[in-house]
Amino acid sequence: MSDNLLEVETIHTFIGQFHILEGVSVGVRKGSITVLLGRNGAGKTTTLRSIMGMTPPAQGSIHFDGVSLVGKTPFAIAQMGIGYVPEHRAIFKALTVQENLKIAERKKGDLARKGDFIFELFPDLKRLSHLSGGQLSGGQQQMLAVARALVPDNRLLLIDEPSEGLAPVIIEQLMNAIRRMAAQTTVLLVEQNFRVASRLADQYVIIDEGKSVAGGVMDDLKNDSALIQRYLGVA
Amino acid sequence: MTPNSGWRQTLRGNGWISLLLLFLIVFPFLVGWLTESSPVGIPRGDRMVMRGESVRWQAVLIEVYILAILAMSYNLLFGFTGVVSFGHALFFGMGSYILGLALEYTALDTGLALALGIFAGIVVCGLLGLLIGFVTLRLRGVYFAIFTLAVAEMFFIFFGRFQLTKAEDGFAITDLPVWLDPAQSRLTFYYVALALFVFTFLFIRRLVKSPTGAVFQAIRENEDRAQALGYNTLRFKLLSIMIAAMLAAVAGMLQVLLNKKVGPELLGVAYTVDPLLHTVIGGVGTFVGPVIGTAGLHLLDVFFRNSSITLGGVTVDVAAIWPLLLGAIFIIVVLIFPQGVVGTWRRWRLNAGFRQRTSAEQAARSVKAAE
Amino acid sequence: MVSKRNSVPAIAAILFALLAFSFVTSGSLGNFGITVLSGLFQGMLLFLVASGLSIIFGLMDVLNLAQGSFFMLGAYVAYDVQHAGGVVDLTAAVPDPNLRFVLAVLAAILVGAALGAALERGLLRRLYVRPVFQLVLTFGISLVMLELVKAVWTTTPFSWTETFGVRENFFELFDQRFSTYRLFVVGMGLLLIVGIALLLNRTRIGIIIRAGVEDSEMVQALGINVRVVFTLVFTLGCGIAALGGAVAAPFLGASTTLASTFLLQAIAVVVLGGLGSYEGTAIGSLMVGLSIAVAQDSAIGTSFSMLPSITPMLLLVLVLLIRPSGLFGEAR
Repeated sequence: MSDNLLEVETIHTFIGQFHILEGVSVGVRKGSITVLLGRNGAGKTTTLRSIMGMTPPAQGSIHFDGVSLVGKTPFAIAQMGIGYVPEHRAIFKALTVQENLKIAERKKGDLARKGDFIFELFPDLKRLSHLSGGQLSGGQQQMLAVARALVPDNRLLLIDEPSEGLAPVIIEQLMNAIRRMAAQTTVLLVEQNFRVASRLADQYVIIDEGKSVAGGVMDDLKNDSALIQRYLGVA
Repeated sequence: MTPNSGWRQTLRGNGWISLLLLFLIVFPFLVGWLTESSPVGIPRGDRMVMRGESVRWQAVLIEVYILAILAMSYNLLFGFTGVVSFGHALFFGMGSYILGLALEYTALDTGLALALGIFAGIVVCGLLGLLIGFVTLRLRGVYFAIFTLAVAEMFFIFFGRFQLTKAEDGFAITDLPVWLDPAQSRLTFYYVALALFVFTFLFIRRLVKSPTGAVFQAIRENEDRAQALGYNTLRFKLLSIMIAAMLAAVAGMLQVLLNKKVGPELLGVAYTVDPLLHTVIGGVGTFVGPVIGTAGLHLLDVFFRNSSITLGGVTVDVAAIWPLLLGAIFIIVVLIFPQGVVGTWRRWRLNAGFRQRTSAEQAARSVKAAE
Repeated sequence: MVSKRNSVPAIAAILFALLAFSFVTSGSLGNFGITVLSGLFQGMLLFLVASGLSIIFGLMDVLNLAQGSFFMLGAYVAYDVQHAGGVVDLTAAVPDPNLRFVLAVLAAILVGAALGAALERGLLRRLYVRPVFQLVLTFGISLVMLELVKAVWTTTPFSWTETFGVRENFFELFDQRFSTYRLFVVGMGLLLIVGIALLLNRTRIGIIIRAGVEDSEMVQALGINVRVVFTLVFTLGCGIAALGGAVAAPFLGASTTLASTFLLQAIAVVVLGGLGSYEGTAIGSLMVGLSIAVAQDSAIGTSFSMLPSITPMLLLVLVLLIRPSGLFGEAR
């Protein structure tokens, strides 16, 4: 699809000698929220990391707005306007909330411009801005991790399992925030929790044992319980 | 135990190693015949005196055997188990001190003192390795390296000031059984050293090829995975360091018998640096690497020790810049040829064979295409 | 986090115990003062070596075993610049010994930093994927640096003979003469501690360094070229170590044993304070420095002359036995 912001074509990724991705293709339409679904260990996180350049693919291609990402260093890829929110709340525990946001700036004044929007989505963060990351609760840390991706002008956000380990109330807050964020940018999500994924995303791609096996519109998938059962185990 | 681990098969399967061993066995007589000197020295009164080329070269090779045993023990720990130690001199030195103390400071009959010293030295060093490993091997690898560095240095300083062992002057060994004394029966000592050298080589080879050795190497490759597979990696690492420590102690004892002197320099950093350098340059994680590295570098040192080179008007003593050269070579090896001499050579052979095969395939294909 | 809070009373207790012990065994107030000043002096020197070691390890996961060699190099360069003869002779060009000393220190810092940058870019960069060999590589570098220094300046140690103003001054307190120079070094060290703390806490590069110590991969993912930061930190670390050697030289001279002595003591400091922790390094330097001074003071006249030399090692062994993560380190 030529109007895909991100085009991942049949990538193969090795970690050490292990062939983790054996042909993954993902197309992410501009402005959409696309979710990568699949069982544990299927290769969803590795796909994100391959896009981000941390585990570059040995074969295949990745294009972001027409520009090839393969071979670029992670920081160069980030500077192209891709924000990455890894799993397990990768905020800096030794830094304060304020510093965590500040470090994400790519241009001077990013935080000043985006600050209002960010604190509107995540009002708790304003209150906690002088606490260190390690003093926040799990939910607050996740909010910070997601908020951090909003600081610079990112055209694509890669978010890995945002709801993992969070209470339902927090998940609800997070989902609302992500929906509002997606209005201004494109999101590629990895989500194990199908309920969250189905309510948030409009497109999906299923990854099974390192291969992309299905994809399409989320509304279609919700009604296809056979597919859900086959690749996602218990719905 | 795989059938190939028997020592007879080892020797048979490696023709050139057997040849080398044969050469080393007849070496004293070979040199003696070529230089017309006696392999057992010259009699003077009722003692033998070590004069002549043959005995001189025997001493050189004995040094190589000692350093090679030390290097092989280091390689077991570093090359095969992936544990970096900066305190190997500790085991070398303590082995020598214990033997020395047993021989000189006890009132026992010489033969008994010798046996006691050897036994005590090996046991103590093994326990020392166990202790050090137990304290730090559970932590990240860098802690073990640091700890061994610190402990070795502590012992070095301590024995350098400890009055009971004459501090930095050290003490001489005067009380040795005649049949073993290298100043009188060097030929016997030569064969003892050679036997221990061969034993160490075969032992380590057998150990590494055994299931235990496979676990060592699994730990080196990826310790987390080895643990996930259910191995108690701590126990295996402790085993590795114990064996390495005991072998190093044996090397230290041979050294003390050769020089008939015990001093804190035996605990000095040189005996940690040398096996490290020899192993890495020779080929870390291979069986012959440490031997080739030790033999090659030590023999080079002996040959060129007294010569000098002139470069652009400046004359330099080789002896003065030898450590510098060694260090530079070491850095180059670590950066560019991390498999060392042996590993890189094997790689070339592999690649050459591969290239031959692919070009043969290509030739065969083009012949087919032409039909 | 909890462990940090618990450390403060423990640190206070240990420091108090050290000082009390020293006070009791000193005999006189003046003697006690000398010991404390000497301890602070040693502590500052240690901090100059250990801070680089700690931050480099925290950020790059490399234990730079050549850190002590940079200290030694700094001493030799400073000595050479200050005195007649040697590689550089400025006695004619710059007759004022005070000015020459300033130049000597600057030269040491520059040489250290330049060599550090060259090493990081040329050698270390290739090995970030093989951590085991990194340790071995920095060890090899320390060997080569030692041999280079021996080649240029011979193995005979140098004692500082040039007199210059600050070095010669004394001030009297409690019937004892204290060297003003030692006080100057302590003061400079404190300035540096504060300065680096400000750098780490108030500047963007400081935030990046602290974040990188925690998770350098994430810093990369935020669009920051961490490799450049690595080079910068390594260069600074080596430069500061060289500075340490330069300011220590008027008292300690220049000798090849400086490298291993200060490396081992710095390792003790870093492990005691907690690998990668800045506050830990600062406090650890203080504690180790004081311990050495106290050990020296107690050992005078006794048969335990080796005590001051092995004190840092004993501390290291103790820390590794009781609490390997150190005072401020994360319990990993």
